[in-house]
Amino acid sequence: MSQYIIRRLVLNVVVLWVVASLVFVTTNLLPGDFAERQVATNLELADYTEAIEEARRLLGLDRPLYERYATYITSVAMLDLGHSYDTKRSTWEELGRRFPTTLELGSLIALVAFSLSLPIGVISAVKQDTWVDYVLRTFAILGVAAPVFFIAVILTLVVLKLRLFQIDIVGSPHLWTDPAGALKLYLIPTIAGGISGGAGIMRLLRSQMLEVMRNDYIRTARAKGLPDRTVWIRHAMKNAMLPVLTAMGFTIAGIVSGQIILENMFNIDGVGRFLFTRLIIRDFPPFQGAVLIISFVIVTVNLIVDITYGWLDPRIRFS
Amino acid sequence: MARVQEVLRIPAESAPVVDPRRRRSRLRKVALLARRNRLGAVGFAMMLFVLLVAVLSPWLQRYDTNQVFQTANPEFNPTASPLDIARNPKLSAPFTLNRWERPLTRQHWLGTDQFGRDIYARIIVGARLAVIIGIGASLISVASGTVTGLISGYFGGKTDLTIQRLVDAIQAFPGLVLLLLLVSVLEEPNLTFTVVALGFLGWAASTRIVRSTVLAVSASPFVEAARSYGATDMRVMLRHVLPNVLAPVVVIFSISIGIYILAEASLSFLGLGPADQTTWGKMVNAGRNALDLNPWESLFSGAAITIAVLAFNLAGDALRDEMDPRLRGR
Repeated sequence: MSQYIIRRLVLNVVVLWVVASLVFVTTNLLPGDFAERQVATNLELADYTEAIEEARRLLGLDRPLYERYATYITSVAMLDLGHSYDTKRSTWEELGRRFPTTLELGSLIALVAFSLSLPIGVISAVKQDTWVDYVLRTFAILGVAAPVFFIAVILTLVVLKLRLFQIDIVGSPHLWTDPAGALKLYLIPTIAGGISGGAGIMRLLRSQMLEVMRNDYIRTARAKGLPDRTVWIRHAMKNAMLPVLTAMGFTIAGIVSGQIILENMFNIDGVGRFLFTRLIIRDFPPFQGAVLIISFVIVTVNLIVDITYGWLDPRIRFS
Repeated sequence: MARVQEVLRIPAESAPVVDPRRRRSRLRKVALLARRNRLGAVGFAMMLFVLLVAVLSPWLQRYDTNQVFQTANPEFNPTASPLDIARNPKLSAPFTLNRWERPLTRQHWLGTDQFGRDIYARIIVGARLAVIIGIGASLISVASGTVTGLISGYFGGKTDLTIQRLVDAIQAFPGLVLLLLLVSVLEEPNLTFTVVALGFLGWAASTRIVRSTVLAVSASPFVEAARSYGATDMRVMLRHVLPNVLAPVVVIFSISIGIYILAEASLSFLGLGPADQTTWGKMVNAGRNALDLNPWESLFSGAAITIAVLAFNLAGDALRDEMDPRLRGR
């Protein structure tokens, strides 16, 4: 077991190295760099090639690619993610300021996604082919097909038309400093992201439940007189959750992708929007740093999922 | 039982003259499939509808997507003095744009957008684009994924290890981030480039699935037999392994079309979609400018995305359940 975990950890380091290299190479493939964008917007006329060269030299962008790659990889290995070209602050500081926001929104979305999908998935399977099942399934199928921003647009429209609350929120309130403001800001993205993320889990859980409930041990549990609820939750759901757990990694990646869109839509100053704006102005060190951290989270979640998997299902042997 | 009843219900004299079983068998097969999987049947019908709209779009769109509709301004006065114009700006414009018109008029079935363009025409053309992107990206990802999956699974060893680490790395990226990076490589991404970027994104997942099937197939006795009579690796791969992994390949192809349509919509919504095209994602975003005043552009285009993705998802799911149920939940 510990051998397996060590092997996986080593493998994850390799994967993160490939991710880091991939980000480095692709960002450097992009047309234009920070120096060019910045100078071009600040000086509108005349010959600014000299100014661009000067800016490149200051930022160290004039050095050859392999040299920059070497510095980049060694500093990443020492957990130094560089400094923003734009604000000159360190990547850790820039991300550290936005991470709480993203984490707040992300956990709210995950909370909604799971508290919607788990009971709905079980109910839909238990009441198979009744109208309850049909309604819930339609909801799930639509939730998978509709883009997250469309769900958010519909919710915004509802809030606007029913005049529920003011949508234009200034600044970035946090849950613990200004709970009312934060909830107003987060409400629509949370529900939209939750529906979008939860719908897939619900469909998966339902089909798994149906498969599990055909097993003999379910009939045995019923036959020995256990109440329905116990059979569904203790016997069926526990076994149906395994593939759902595997989907967790994908769900988290999906929530992150959804957050990039939602944070942009609702002007939430989190990592998702930061990532997007950094890409647009070609401010790469914080961009690369953010991507690495997100990949680290995804890889770690996958590892935890795999370990829990073996713990939940003793038949699985680690090799 | 159902079959017995069906046989009994046919009176002897009305039996068809030419080969009764042959004539009914194909139709009956479809009917049986449709009855067993009603949701799938609905999905296939919707998919046909979307494909039909996409193919027939030049005949259905009524107007050009960029045609701007305007009406003569009754207040226009070419001889108005600058002072009058300053007091009433309307005096200077010979035409006014028919912007944000409500739907369900004879001229504009679905209304007009902020520049006075016909929303119906733009939705119809968007369908063609969504279909091209979905099918194109799916083809690219499945074709490339099959090649690398075959190689990776068949040869194993170092080749396999290298390819799998690359696959792991791509899957450790949140998809949208990688996509944003890829399409930024061109200053103004065009349609072809967007399709290729989307296809590359899906390459990792299809490689992984094809590889795992190849691993299972390669272990079977007939592959060993082929090898033992001296078939080359190439021949074993193409003639013995490939035909046996085609089912999952077809399933991945059909299931991922909807995902690519959705991904492209997200890109377009963020303003990084194909620059020179009319896409649904762009329309949802543009419509947000006047959500309070006239939400119809956002609503129609968003609904169009949902319907198209739904159609391909349902059809793909049905195909998977028929062809290869083991892929469920992947």
